[in-house]
Amino acid sequence: MKTRRDAYQAIADPTRRAIIQMIAGEPHNVNSIAERFAMSRQAISLHIRILTDCGLVTIKPQGRDRFCEAQLDPLQEVSLWVDQYRKHWENKLDTLETYIEKLKREKYGKQKKKHT
Amino acid sequence: MENKKRSTHDRELLISRKLDAPVEFVWELWTQPEHIAHWWGPHGFTNTITIMDVVPGGQWSLVMHGPDGTDYINESRFKEIILHKKIVYEHLSSPRFVATVNFEDQGEQTLITWHMLFESAEEFMQVVKTHRADEGQKQNLEKLSVYVAGLRKQTT
Repeated sequence: MKTRRDAYQAIADPTRRAIIQMIAGEPHNVNSIAERFAMSRQAISLHIRILTDCGLVTIKPQGRDRFCEAQLDPLQEVSLWVDQYRKHWENKLDTLETYIEKLKREKYGKQKKKHT
Repeated sequence: MENKKRSTHDRELLISRKLDAPVEFVWELWTQPEHIAHWWGPHGFTNTITIMDVVPGGQWSLVMHGPDGTDYINESRFKEIILHKKIVYEHLSSPRFVATVNFEDQGEQTLITWHMLFESAEEFMQVVKTHRADEGQKQNLEKLSVYVAGLRKQTT
């Protein structure tokens, strides 16, 4: 299955999130990243490649080393849209609130039947 | 460093609201089809509740009718029901999630908390992405917030 490479894809995996967290403070080389995780170097390399494809990591060669640097801007878009999605649910409660007010007005305004 | 116990913070949503009504009343609005049809779904939508069997294992089927005539079928199953306290349901249609709704009795008010746990971060991100892509939906939300703000002004 071919999936599009974007920030959503990047952070959908716990290992990739941990990698971003690790290099967000300062760039690390691929080896030192791989050492931190209980999985093969190849697996880590693949995650790093996905992160690179998604625009969250850039690789800076330094001598024989390759340093991974975090690019956090694309994540802002994600958090913006998570908020938007949250609002979608908040709106349900807004509507419920409005409905409660309406029923109360009907109930106390003119002793109406309990419910229809 | 890798999480052994799967953490959930990347695939959950939690919202809460203090509602100005006693818990028995809020419970009624949540669990009776004729009431829930009035407030479920975004503004501009109407709802048809075909089945709502509020017992553990009970089926809950509702169709949201979008303003453009599109029908959205929502199939859920209730997992846990504690009268006036808690409703847990599993949304079986896509996106799959388990929602836990808690009702806290605060006398004349009720604190309702709504927790949604998606099956996977992948699925959650997919929902967020789809939601992002759906401009019509976004406009609806904007319309709704304007509408609600308007109503609030009228009532205060």
